[in-house]
Amino acid sequence: MSISLAQHHHPQGIDGHIHQAPTSFVRKYVFSIDHKIIGIQYFVTTGIFMAIAGLLAEVIRTQLLSPNAQFVSPDTFNEAFSVHGSAMVWLVIIPMLTGAFGNFVMPLQIGARDVAFPWLNMASFWMFPPAGLLLFGSFVIGAPQAGWTEYPPISGPQYGPPGTTMWCMAIFLVGVSSTLTGINFLVTMYKMRAPGMTFTRMPLFVWAQMATAILSMIATTALAGALLALFLERVFGIPFYDPARGGSPILWQHMFWFYSHPAVYIMILPAFGIISEIFPTFARKPIFGYKAIAFSSMAIALLSFMVWAHHMFTSGLSPSIEVAFMLLTMVIAVPTGIKIFSWVMTLFGGKIHFTTAMLFAIGFIITFLCGGLTGIYLAAVPVDLHLHGTYFIVAHLHYVLFGGSVMGIFAGLYYWWPKMTGRMMNETLGKWHFALLFTAFNLTFMPMHFLGIMGMPRRVSFYVNDPWFIFWNELASIASYAMAGSFLIFLYNALSSLKSGALAGPNPWGARTLEWQIPSPPHYYNFKNIPAVYSAPYEFDKPLPYGNLQDELDDSKVPPQLLHGHGEHAHAGAH
Amino acid sequence: MSTHSQPQVHLSAGFWRTTAVLTILNLLALWWEWTHPLSAFLPEAARPADEIDGLFLFMTLVGTAIFIYVVGYLVYFAIAFRARRDDPENAIGLQLHDATALEIWWTVIPTILVIILGVWSTMTWARLQSQPGGAFTMEAIGHQWNFEFRYPGLNKTIWNEMHVPIDKPITMHVSSADVLHSFWVPEGRLKVDMVPGLINTIRFTPTRIGTYRIICAEYCGFSHGKMIASYVVQSQADFDKWYNEQKNGAPQNSGGPGAGAAAAALPPSTGGDAAAGKALFDTKCVACHTTGAFDDRKVGPGLGNVLHDAAHPDLVTGKPATPGNVADILKNGAQGSIGVMPNEQMNGLNDKDIANLVAYLSSLGSK
Amino acid sequence: MAVHVAAHGADEVDHLYAETADLRLTGFVLFLISDVVLFSSFIFAYLYLRHSVPQWPWPPGTAPLDTAFAAVNSVVLFGSGATMHFALENWKHGNRSKWFGWLIATIILGSMFLGGQAYEYSHIQATWGGSIFGASFFTLTGMHGFHVFCGVIYLIILGLQTSQNVYTRQKYFGLVAGTLYWHFVDVIWVALFFLFYLL
Repeated sequence: MSISLAQHHHPQGIDGHIHQAPTSFVRKYVFSIDHKIIGIQYFVTTGIFMAIAGLLAEVIRTQLLSPNAQFVSPDTFNEAFSVHGSAMVWLVIIPMLTGAFGNFVMPLQIGARDVAFPWLNMASFWMFPPAGLLLFGSFVIGAPQAGWTEYPPISGPQYGPPGTTMWCMAIFLVGVSSTLTGINFLVTMYKMRAPGMTFTRMPLFVWAQMATAILSMIATTALAGALLALFLERVFGIPFYDPARGGSPILWQHMFWFYSHPAVYIMILPAFGIISEIFPTFARKPIFGYKAIAFSSMAIALLSFMVWAHHMFTSGLSPSIEVAFMLLTMVIAVPTGIKIFSWVMTLFGGKIHFTTAMLFAIGFIITFLCGGLTGIYLAAVPVDLHLHGTYFIVAHLHYVLFGGSVMGIFAGLYYWWPKMTGRMMNETLGKWHFALLFTAFNLTFMPMHFLGIMGMPRRVSFYVNDPWFIFWNELASIASYAMAGSFLIFLYNALSSLKSGALAGPNPWGARTLEWQIPSPPHYYNFKNIPAVYSAPYEFDKPLPYGNLQDELDDSKVPPQLLHGHGEHAHAGAH
Repeated sequence: MSTHSQPQVHLSAGFWRTTAVLTILNLLALWWEWTHPLSAFLPEAARPADEIDGLFLFMTLVGTAIFIYVVGYLVYFAIAFRARRDDPENAIGLQLHDATALEIWWTVIPTILVIILGVWSTMTWARLQSQPGGAFTMEAIGHQWNFEFRYPGLNKTIWNEMHVPIDKPITMHVSSADVLHSFWVPEGRLKVDMVPGLINTIRFTPTRIGTYRIICAEYCGFSHGKMIASYVVQSQADFDKWYNEQKNGAPQNSGGPGAGAAAAALPPSTGGDAAAGKALFDTKCVACHTTGAFDDRKVGPGLGNVLHDAAHPDLVTGKPATPGNVADILKNGAQGSIGVMPNEQMNGLNDKDIANLVAYLSSLGSK
Repeated sequence: MAVHVAAHGADEVDHLYAETADLRLTGFVLFLISDVVLFSSFIFAYLYLRHSVPQWPWPPGTAPLDTAFAAVNSVVLFGSGATMHFALENWKHGNRSKWFGWLIATIILGSMFLGGQAYEYSHIQATWGGSIFGASFFTLTGMHGFHVFCGVIYLIILGLQTSQNVYTRQKYFGLVAGTLYWHFVDVIWVALFFLFYLL
């Protein structure tokens, strides 16, 4: 491996450098460095993890069908909600929105051939299935039971089940993967945009991924610190959180939430970006307030580092500190509101096509707005005192994470499915999926607001034997089964599309961003010629603002770089 | 910087009709919320619950208005500006990029609302901090899985019942003996975390006579869902009576662990049906007990030999292991070595159930 | 569009290398920033725990750290930062033998620092798990020491690579990365020395 760099010489830069396509099955589909294949690998893996985590949710809801059920023991119930939450946050939503959508779409949208560090991209992905095995495998020795937040002392060496240590390791590994992906994406978006694509000509999905990558890169190592400290305390008895030896349980909460609050923005910003792409495309008009949306994403990312202690308002922090965090949290409402109003105005005067992607995007606005508004309640310390640790929180978090992130994920899946697979999904099935999911989702989680207000705490496998509480819990549980059923509609639609869906062509939606100007699915080298970009993509009354795209859809043309027998050189290491 | 020729924005009659409908909906919603505040559903049993409810109402009024208008316009625009069947294939919408005046309004108005909310919340929070607490100071300590209360001048522990006199400002110091718990009185809008190694303080004044719930609101293990106690607001006279009874060694009222049988008639311990008892045991008791030997513990001891164990002649209450005393524990609960044995109300048992369970336990052979 | 040439002039620019080196420098700096965050989270933990007890070291009666020894050890480490700087400068000017000399000096000084840490660890009264004092001190300085150890290994690898003519005067990103990492390790130590020995 010590061939001198002097022996390599490439007068062409990155844009002019195309390798021969990989030929073996393993290099094409297993250990691929192609961002599109890696993106699909993330989709498949997160999809499997979502199914498992969803089943755990049904264990929770089945136990809560009646107030003193014996469907599962309290131990198993605690394991179920802890692994459900941990998996959904770290093994589903974050990797799906960054590793899957970010990987597949972002390099195409900036006119690049791949991400900045393709091998690192592959390594980041391959950390991810082992992390999942570690997390789900913890059931074998006793899965963690203290929720996805695992507060010590109950997660510590004296009280925590053995699987809590596996949990630390699993999330640490996911964190390393996530940090490296964040670095990879940030360098890609910063340095590898096509000529002419200034920041204000980038698609808004790219802006969203950029804000997210900054958060992933900076916040995740703070979580690594917290996890490492808990691991050291559990395995080696090193006191960080144990009050008997000078440690503090509150310290864990600070370290954990310093990451986990930015994490919730990692989970929503890419979904915002997806909505910002779908609305203009299906309203046939520009996104309203492009700059406001772009800059508010950055403002939200910055503010997200300053509000973490709003998860700790009942823990006994000093009152003036609580006021500071309260006010900063309320401030975030302003840029978020600007986005929502801008999306609504994007519909004004449009020519709106109600594709499944558009329905999910519209549904997103409704459910995410509800989740955001309940967040205002929680921002005010006096009201949070009543609501913290109750089912109101469970309702809020599901409205923003399911009604926000997951609705955004489905919108994006229906939107980019033709580009990724070359085939169309069935729109009728898609609309049934949307209708059933939207209705069932609201029936499942809306009652939880009232259950929390009226006195049902969270993380309980029993509740008071009262008809009012029983009715709303039963409704939530039955509706959750309908939600699960709606996923089956999606699965059937996806599989039959792959088998025999109509061929999509390059641009079935008439969209204007770069990924729609090349074949579906794209060639492994993405673009025959790197395009030139003249303006932002959202003007529907003007021609496409790109140059150099004339050969992209012409099958007789081969990229010039491939004509010169480029693969004949032996390349070691460097790229 | 490309210049956009700004298209004209025309607000149609449909827009104004929709605005009118949304405004009427809003007014109806606001009226309903104003006349059905939180206290209509959840009584206020402590000061400053009323302050908190006022802030809650403000947020509900504003939040509902925002939701109705935003979702209303979203749905209206989606319908009004839908592509029609006879539109040409390449029909486009109004190429509107921004509307500066509108964007200023929808930045300024939310900012003003945030400022109002921030100021109001801060003032409420300041009032919470300056609540008086001078009548007396008490302690609440969280355990897995019950609440311990200590009163000044009372040299004993009160379990799972917090008696307080109405209209007296009280200071309460809370902590935990093991893991994190949280002391939550929904009717009081009171919540404070019980942190081991830390003492948190809360000040409040009870304002409504009655018995309300104290619920643990921080995950604390196996029986977190059953960690419930009572917040009993009494007149000063009744409170003094209770306090003096406690001082003179009276057992706690039924509902708490360790309660003696003196207050109520002895629960039935004969004439039960062992098969029915087994069915009850298999649904209600197996979470914490096996039918094996004493050391075959889940949470509580194995109960296979509870009535004939030479190594353990006394129950956890310190009384001899007789059917009557077992029935006593089933009725009144007990403070165990780990956590609390729930009483009949928490377990959902009536007298017949207790007799059946005693019969079942009696039928388990000595091993 | 250019045809590959087997031989080329020494001053013909390798655009691919230049661009990827630029990407890698940016990525490496971002990686160092995320590493700073990792240290910062433990520094927060240390300051929080220290602030929660009335005196330090904790518990009362624990012997304080040997600031004089650590100061000398720090000078050794900072000196290695200077030698690394000179090493890279000499490489850039084509002085191979001076590069090696300064690199070896850096490796020796870095190893001496590690030896000094080992000596200090063996003479401290507090233990890693005994109290929050040991927990915070040993975890943070241990993490730093681990970073120094990895750095020494990497410098040795760079030495071997340069002896096998892997890098040229124009293409030497690996050396830049190593130098940057070594300075990062120095900067972290400035913070830790201040926080543990001077504060």
